[in-house]
Amino acid sequence: MLICLWLALALGGMARAQSADGPQALLAAVGKQVDEISPKIVAKANDDSELVKLKVQLEDLAKQVIGVAVSFRPRLGEINKRLAELGAPPSDADTPEPQAVQEERRRLAEEKKSINTALGAAEDMSIRVNRELDQVSQKRRDLFSNSLSQRVDVNFAFGSEVVTAAEQEAQALSRQFKSWWQFIWKFKFGSMLAATFLALLAASVIMIGGRLLFLSLYSRDKEVTEPSYLSRLSVGFWSTLIPSVSFAVFLTATYFFFDYFNLLRADVRPAISAFFNVCAAVFFIQRLAQAILSPDLPNWQLVKVAPGPGRVLHWLITATAIVTGLEFIGNVFNRTLDSPLQLTIAKSLIATLLVGLLIIVIAMVNPVPDDKGGRPQPWPRAVKLFILMLGLLPMVAAGLGYVGLSRFFSQQIVITGAIIVTMYLGFKSAAALADDGAFANTLLGQSLSERYKFEPVMLGHIGVGTSVLTNLLVLAWGLPLILLQWRFQWEDIRGWIISALTGFQVGSVTISLLGIFAGILVFIFGFVLTRWFQRWLDGNILTRGKVDSGVRNSIKTALGYAGTALAGLIGISVAGIDLSSLALVAGALSLGIGFGLQNVVSNFVSGLILLAERPFKVGDWIEAGATSGIVKKISVRATEIETFHKQTVMLPNSILINAAVGNWTHRNKLGRVDIGVGVLYKSDPKAVQEILLEIGTRHPLVMKNPEPFVLFQGFGEKQMNFELRVHLADITNSAIVQTDIRSQIMAEFDKAGIEIPTA
Amino acid sequence: MSMEAAIKRRSEMKRLIVAALAVFALNSAVLAASVTNRDGDTITLRVTEGADQVDLPIGPGETVEFCAGGCFVTFPGDVREVLTGAETIEFVGGAAQFR
Repeated sequence: MLICLWLALALGGMARAQSADGPQALLAAVGKQVDEISPKIVAKANDDSELVKLKVQLEDLAKQVIGVAVSFRPRLGEINKRLAELGAPPSDADTPEPQAVQEERRRLAEEKKSINTALGAAEDMSIRVNRELDQVSQKRRDLFSNSLSQRVDVNFAFGSEVVTAAEQEAQALSRQFKSWWQFIWKFKFGSMLAATFLALLAASVIMIGGRLLFLSLYSRDKEVTEPSYLSRLSVGFWSTLIPSVSFAVFLTATYFFFDYFNLLRADVRPAISAFFNVCAAVFFIQRLAQAILSPDLPNWQLVKVAPGPGRVLHWLITATAIVTGLEFIGNVFNRTLDSPLQLTIAKSLIATLLVGLLIIVIAMVNPVPDDKGGRPQPWPRAVKLFILMLGLLPMVAAGLGYVGLSRFFSQQIVITGAIIVTMYLGFKSAAALADDGAFANTLLGQSLSERYKFEPVMLGHIGVGTSVLTNLLVLAWGLPLILLQWRFQWEDIRGWIISALTGFQVGSVTISLLGIFAGILVFIFGFVLTRWFQRWLDGNILTRGKVDSGVRNSIKTALGYAGTALAGLIGISVAGIDLSSLALVAGALSLGIGFGLQNVVSNFVSGLILLAERPFKVGDWIEAGATSGIVKKISVRATEIETFHKQTVMLPNSILINAAVGNWTHRNKLGRVDIGVGVLYKSDPKAVQEILLEIGTRHPLVMKNPEPFVLFQGFGEKQMNFELRVHLADITNSAIVQTDIRSQIMAEFDKAGIEIPTA
Repeated sequence: MSMEAAIKRRSEMKRLIVAALAVFALNSAVLAASVTNRDGDTITLRVTEGADQVDLPIGPGETVEFCAGGCFVTFPGDVREVLTGAETIEFVGGAAQFR
């Protein structure tokens, strides 16, 4: 492995050395490529996808030119530094410089000049590449507007020409396919059989496998009378997607096998490829219409449509798709046979008129079921108007002679419409998934709760997550498809995605999603690492070292803050953000801190002081103002105290710093308990003192040193007041001791005949 | 771990992430190349960005930001430099210095 590494390094070094050697050679190579690309721009002016490829190449060249120019910078810096060290030549001729210095200055100036010239050449080359890029953009714009805005005169003379052209073309077509068929029949019969067999095999595998795996996901159960909206949606979505995908896979496999056995001659290949594409698209649209209208099982409909009109609508939609598809195939024939323009136009004209008519018929259908069981009602007025407009648009455009525009419209209505409807289904499913309890009722939810015993709340969370994921998937699948339909090229879209990830500009600001993402990832990693380190230190080192729990807590918390801050800083720098620009934010924030965040900051700082000074630690019994209880947790803003009523009180840290806090268990748990008692004047005070002292000394929890003490507190109206003061080793036992002592006092006084006054 | 602690930890984590995102959003700004003229006279740069050449005058003490992608700049005295879009340059004593 080391050898590999060394080799890689050595090769890298060589490559760098070479590129440093010949910037001029590199520039010349770029120039040569531009020379090659330049005529292609004119030659391919009618092919958008070729133009996009050229654009990508040119952009790469522009980057190379900048790279070559940047490679001069280190050397230029060195030269400038050395020249500055040498200083200006002396002005008076009396003190001539040494020959060596003069020589070096002259050499450096020369090199600098040559680099300047090379930079000039690079600049010229950059201008040239960018001009070509502008040229490509211009051509693409022209292409787009021409194809849509070109107007042809549709007149009657046009008719007869078209008929002859059509006849000729039909003959040419039949000749072509006949010769292809004979070619296969005579020379490739065995291959054809093999290819057909393999394609059928693939088809059956996909059909059977797909049915076995997914049928439960999308079969419509006749027994279910009222399926939920979510199950209708998901059945609609999957019953469109899965058969369409498997059909597309089957077509691809067939094409692949025919291609593999060399059965596709170059002259028929485009037509067959177009035919397969159209088959897939028509199949998809038919499935989609079936899913939404479900004319045979009205319970499973996604849109309420009367069954009879539903069937009609289903066939009308499929027919629209077929007409559009046939037009597409016809276009491919036109291109491969180089047919006259009139024929292409006439064919598009007929197809768009047909599509327009079909859509208008769709608008005329009365699909809305009547609640009272009467005849179905027409579409709602707005919907009907919209569909009518969709149908009229291509017809009007075609009638005015804008055949390209009309063709574009009718294709978009069919294809984009289908994509939008599918996306809509996906979004609806996602929204339904996020509903309360919806996910738990799905098959997946049920099996999860059975197998892993997931709680309903957890299932709800999973449902929301799945819903978000579904939304993203639908967007990621649908948006590029629609953009592709609208004549954006795949390279364009990929370029956008890449530039969005690696940095795009808004004004003079560059935003890099990938950088931000990496930064967040590093931060999360640092955060998790900190937590892990905290736990490890606390569990292994500190526990074993018998460190006091308060100190442990302080160390842990401080470590947590430091680690998180560090992770944040590293994350920010990984995201490529200049830390100095943080100063600006800090400046802006300080104003906010001055006003609004004053309390929060003061509490935060107080929390840090509490951790450092440790006036109390977790587990201490403290009294702050009216609150008395055990400290449970010291956090950033507040300290959590549990009172003896088990109520949790959050005390802001600043209060604990600014006001007096009593701590019963600060250094030790030693504490004094005072128990007062009054006796009648007829009793002997000496005897009372002795009895009290005796009781105090006898109790096992009372400390011997300092020893118990009895105070003759004073003279009341009817009684003498005494107080027994005892020290406890653990003040938390105070309640027990008080109870014990009081009951003993009662008993002993009773025995000695000493009376406690009552009322 | 108790439910309460889990919820608390999660909310703490969420807060941290939101704070981090806010900081990123405020700061994910990498500025374009900037040139500051520290000399007494107005200088004029010839900037070639894409296929366009523009003359860019900079007054004394002024700072100009331009060229977010890559561009060529010709400083007074026919001194050429290429910028990739992240440089900070000061023009002092008749010469450009990279910072």
